[in-house]
Amino acid sequence: MSQNRFVRGGLKTAAVLGVAALAGVVGFGTAHAQKTVKVGISLPLTGADAEDAVHIRNGATMAFDEVNAAGGAGGYKIEYWVLDSGTASAGQYDPAQAATNAKKFVGDSAVVGAIGPVMSGEGKAMTPILSEANLATITPSSTNPDITDPKFAGQFKPKGKAIYFRTVTTDAFQGPNMANWMHDKLKIKTVFVLDDSGAYGVGIADSFQKQAEKIGIKILGRDQLNPKEADYTTVLTKIKALKPEALYYGGVGQAGVKLAKQAYDVIPGMIKAGGDGMQGTSILKGVGFPAIEGWYCTNASPHVTEDPGTADWVKRYKAKFAGAVYDDYTITSYDAALAMADAIKRVAATGATPNRDNVRDALQQTKLKTLQGEVSFDANGDILQKVVSVYQYHENKAKPADDMDAQVPYIGVAPEVPQT
Amino acid sequence: MSTSPLEQARGFLPIFWERVRSEQWRRGVSLVLIVLACAFPLLDSNEGDLDAAANATAFATLALGLNIVVGFAGLLDLGYAAFFAIGAYTYGVFSSYQVQPEWSGFWEPFQWLGFVARAHSEGVPVDHVHFQVSFWLMLPVSALVAAFFGVVFGAPTLRLKGDYLAIVTLGFGEIVPIVARNTPYLTNGAQGLNGALPPNLLGYSFGVQSLPFYYLGVALVVFLIFVSSRLKESRIGRAWLAIREDEIAAEAMGVNRTKLKLLAFAVGAGFAGMTGTFYVAKLQTATPEMFTFPVSVMLLVMIVLGGMGSVAGVVIGALLLQLLQSWFLQDLTQWVHALGRFTGIGLLEEIDLVQSIELIFGIILVLMMLYRRQGLIPERMAVTALTHAQQTAVPSRGGLKGELKPLHGKVVDPKVPLLEIRGLAKAFGGIQAVKSLDLRVMPGSIVAIIGPNGSGKTTFFNLVTGLTLPDAGSVTLSGESIRGLGPHLIVEKGIARTFQNLRLFPNMTLMENLLVGTHTRTSTGAVGAVLRLPSVRQEEAAARERALEVLSIFGNRLMPRREHLARTLSYANRRRLEIARAIITEPVLLLLDEPTAGMNPTETLELSDQIRGLRDRGVTILLIEHKLNVVNEIAEKVIVLDHGEKIAEGSPAEVHRNEEVLRAYLGRTATAAVRAAAAS
Amino acid sequence: MEFLDVLLQQIINGVSLGAMYALLALGFTMVYGIIELINFAHFNVFMVGSFVALWVFEAMGFSGQSQVLYGLPLIGVLLVGLVVVMLATGFLGAAIERVALRPLRGFPGTAPMITTIGVSYILFNIILLTMGASTLNYANPMPNIRWEIGDATLRLREVLLWVVSFALMLGLHYFVRYTKMGKAMQATAQDQEAARMMGVDVDRVVITAFFLGSALAGAAGMIFGLYYNYTSFIIGYTAGLRAFTAAVLGGIGNIPGAMLGGILIGLIESLGGQYLEVRWTDVIIFSILVLVLVFRPAGLFGRMAPSKS
Repeated sequence: MSQNRFVRGGLKTAAVLGVAALAGVVGFGTAHAQKTVKVGISLPLTGADAEDAVHIRNGATMAFDEVNAAGGAGGYKIEYWVLDSGTASAGQYDPAQAATNAKKFVGDSAVVGAIGPVMSGEGKAMTPILSEANLATITPSSTNPDITDPKFAGQFKPKGKAIYFRTVTTDAFQGPNMANWMHDKLKIKTVFVLDDSGAYGVGIADSFQKQAEKIGIKILGRDQLNPKEADYTTVLTKIKALKPEALYYGGVGQAGVKLAKQAYDVIPGMIKAGGDGMQGTSILKGVGFPAIEGWYCTNASPHVTEDPGTADWVKRYKAKFAGAVYDDYTITSYDAALAMADAIKRVAATGATPNRDNVRDALQQTKLKTLQGEVSFDANGDILQKVVSVYQYHENKAKPADDMDAQVPYIGVAPEVPQT
Repeated sequence: MSTSPLEQARGFLPIFWERVRSEQWRRGVSLVLIVLACAFPLLDSNEGDLDAAANATAFATLALGLNIVVGFAGLLDLGYAAFFAIGAYTYGVFSSYQVQPEWSGFWEPFQWLGFVARAHSEGVPVDHVHFQVSFWLMLPVSALVAAFFGVVFGAPTLRLKGDYLAIVTLGFGEIVPIVARNTPYLTNGAQGLNGALPPNLLGYSFGVQSLPFYYLGVALVVFLIFVSSRLKESRIGRAWLAIREDEIAAEAMGVNRTKLKLLAFAVGAGFAGMTGTFYVAKLQTATPEMFTFPVSVMLLVMIVLGGMGSVAGVVIGALLLQLLQSWFLQDLTQWVHALGRFTGIGLLEEIDLVQSIELIFGIILVLMMLYRRQGLIPERMAVTALTHAQQTAVPSRGGLKGELKPLHGKVVDPKVPLLEIRGLAKAFGGIQAVKSLDLRVMPGSIVAIIGPNGSGKTTFFNLVTGLTLPDAGSVTLSGESIRGLGPHLIVEKGIARTFQNLRLFPNMTLMENLLVGTHTRTSTGAVGAVLRLPSVRQEEAAARERALEVLSIFGNRLMPRREHLARTLSYANRRRLEIARAIITEPVLLLLDEPTAGMNPTETLELSDQIRGLRDRGVTILLIEHKLNVVNEIAEKVIVLDHGEKIAEGSPAEVHRNEEVLRAYLGRTATAAVRAAAAS
Repeated sequence: MEFLDVLLQQIINGVSLGAMYALLALGFTMVYGIIELINFAHFNVFMVGSFVALWVFEAMGFSGQSQVLYGLPLIGVLLVGLVVVMLATGFLGAAIERVALRPLRGFPGTAPMITTIGVSYILFNIILLTMGASTLNYANPMPNIRWEIGDATLRLREVLLWVVSFALMLGLHYFVRYTKMGKAMQATAQDQEAARMMGVDVDRVVITAFFLGSALAGAAGMIFGLYYNYTSFIIGYTAGLRAFTAAVLGGIGNIPGAMLGGILIGLIESLGGQYLEVRWTDVIIFSILVLVLVFRPAGLFGRMAPSKS
């Protein structure tokens, strides 16, 4: 009896393996005749950050597809390899999974560069591995300054060369510049600061708070929201009692949407601001007017979506990803991919075969005009341009409800912190 | 026919050979697996695959640790990831760029020892301390720190039953990541620890290469499998299993519940602490999200899938699920996408199986609990059935023959009452179960306690053995007060008991049931169990000898079945095992609660003989009985209880004639009738 | 705001928080009282209920904050939603009991509880995979009336919440105390064997208890969505742990106790957040859970039935 079971089990396994082999052969049937290089893309496509990750993936893959359609980068077809860095048990990005992805990229000698990660927590796990292999990555959205800070060079780039390039400005600027805006433009003297306990939120709230204190804004209090909780009336009541002129929220939409809705109920008159976590169609949809009316938000890149060049891009984007939403990170991701392709092209132009070392070096020398303006990197890998744009939510009944440019108009550049 | 039961026992060598063979088989398979594990990187040198494999070893060690708490000791811990976090952050504090206090003279001796370095940064006026304690030193240190917290978190749960214990551990499991998030000075909170140092072996730094971590991980797994197995097959492991099966009976057999539960928590936490250090040294960062409830649940799924309590099983469960997540599902998803493109089915092209891993976890939990609770690899392998000859053998009576050593070595003064009870009382709510009882049992006697149902007999036993605390009165054993002592201490003092409703350990073998009884007379601790020094081996062998001797008291009824699970025994055999387990604790006083219940007259007579034999070997017997013929046969003194008080005391004959007794049993009218009949 | 105004406002906040937790705890504590099973799935049935209500409202034509109703149409819409949700989640709960829990009934140890963890995961992930991780906006057909008491504000929706949870609590309490099925439930809670011997169909009692408890969870889900104007896959998680603590604090198995426990937890959350920091709320509440379970497992108001030995 048990023997029969074994035989049957063995046959089943063989059958599955056989079909798998067949599919594998079919899958690999598409042979590459052209010269190709591989670029790894590691994004948290599982969990809480999945939506943003999809936008970023769209931006990068669109750029690569366009480059390939135009004949490739210096004649090389770019094959992109997308890996998920989110796991279900973490419910979001998982640094261990990101590290594994980095190792996979490093282990495949055809990979000459990477795009990503999305979150700084992943970046911390990936950079030592990438540095070891001298494999450069460009992140469109990781804003924690530590990773490119020379103070921490020993752990984030032990080999010495910059491999973590960004097409987005770090929190070292986004938070403080907003503090400057509040002080200079809005003449605010007292603020209450909240964060959402996440890596990004805590970072940007901290940098905001430090700068605010430096320029003379009084911080009446600092507390933390639990994004999984539903009810923030307790902390909002507390804030109401303290009567600050403004509320600054560092964090993303999971807590931000609820905060905005409930803040409209409890502290409708107060000035409220957030970072780029509070900018996006998910916020617009999730909160809606009138609750979101008047909220300020910032973005660590210049405002380009209304530039004429971008309109064409928007059309192409909407055609390629039927009806999909885009945001500023889609653009920084697109630009990052363009920079990568450009680096490969420049290497090919010298006649050398693109590999990690020469692609990294080429990236360091990037001077490329992209949707967000000119992209070039400093010695640490940070983008040279440090513009922080400020926006404010203002209902525009004449335009469609999900038109970001109409409903969240651009109102200016946040004053920079003077460099010492 | 004339062979002694002991010789018959030694004749049953086939069972022993089977054990040896399976032992060898186990060793052979383990060796092959270790060789394969070491050779794996040669077959697949892809960094990504090695990395995933190294991560998988970490989860295997975590599963092993959880197995000790849940599988061995039966304590459902839903917050196990907390210990993982503690191990990780302990290493993070002592070996990373995270904590950087200002330099002062205080740190110089540590610098000399190599634990810290003086760090100078550009533009920063004061030098800082950079912690760099060696990874190899931190491995055991983190284990100890985590073990300490294991005791701290385990202590509140000691008196809680299964569900509540799980919830309390869940609570601690939630608290630890929140504290980690809210103490950024130590942990850098949500932003992630900065730069934990990789291990350094004789000048060679592991850096970010997967290969050395993989081998280190394999070594850790092998080491912890070794420790787990050694613990399981030892006095400590048996005590844990006994607690898992029946806490109260375990304590009544001499197991110190408190100590052993805390030990289980400590050892389990220690495994997790070590793994935390390994994991963080490899990842070089840590975020609080890595240690939340879903991680604890994932570990639970691993051991449920693999087989709770089975060392090999949980390792396999862990590897399966971890590799499922990192390898198979990603590849399977690619394959399904290809299939989708091939067949043109849109859904297949879009689906991402990796995201549904938690759904798969939930399904696994439910299906395993419903259909295969023992897991893929059950804790117990099937035992060979008895041969036809054994099954149909004529039961031999056994009994104590000359070779059996006296049951206890204690010298008992025959003139001092062995057990003296004065004024013992206990009330449960409004019911006075025992009212001011006075009692005396002389050494070497057999005393029977009889009385109608509800007269307080079993409560009396519970009071004497410490299962219940008396409200008033004194209980002394050979003049020494034993009132208020916990059950395991009572056993140590020399009082053993059986239970009216039988409290065997159903999923342990007869042998193991008996060996639990030797717990108070042996002393191997956890460390000894792992090291298995000659003294430990001797103790174990002596205990087994003793068990065989005790088994032989019951002839061939229990002996051939000694490797069978207790729950497979017939009712009468279970009663015998219960008694055997009490006997093996080497008591001076044996309390038997209705030992012959459910036995037919022949078996009853056999047991009466055995009881008398025990008395002849120096054990004083106090028994509760309903069968008056047994009482008449063997009891020298009879005490009658009714409604919690003693209403008569004397020889069996005296008691039979006693008015009060008759009235208690038969009622007033019937008593009158009996008296009338006797008079006429 | 003056100290007293702040205090009053936080008390109002706390009672509202508490009423929500109590609502969620009712069904959970009732089921525990009867079969002494910690049903982890309860809190994700709650979450499913809020999605079902969302779909029902969308089917009836409500989405977003567009329409405000008064009077009869409002009550009509809410009633329809309530009935549909309660039936749907009630059947879901009964199905869970029948398929996953009945085969394990009477098994010692924690096997049944582990199974409920598995079911909870399944529900959670099905919603996550099908509906995504984003928060979904809820219809809000209720008017936005509020009253001012000094500097403190009391909103209509808060009063409604208190009234509804109290009413449901009373209803459940009377059902268990005075109806035939309720008495059968009490009997089963005290001693399953004896109840069976007295002619009580224990299987029916248990499945009814699950049906009722899950229906209440679904109702709580709908009320949650209407109150906070959103739902998402994660709402069962935090609310669940707080409601659980409320049930334990009040005495698990005790229905009025769950109400009081809920209000206490709500007040601790709001007053703790005000006078300490919101970031420590979870730690405080979990510590309370641990302390109660260790030192006073019967909770503040004792249990409905004695515990297993």
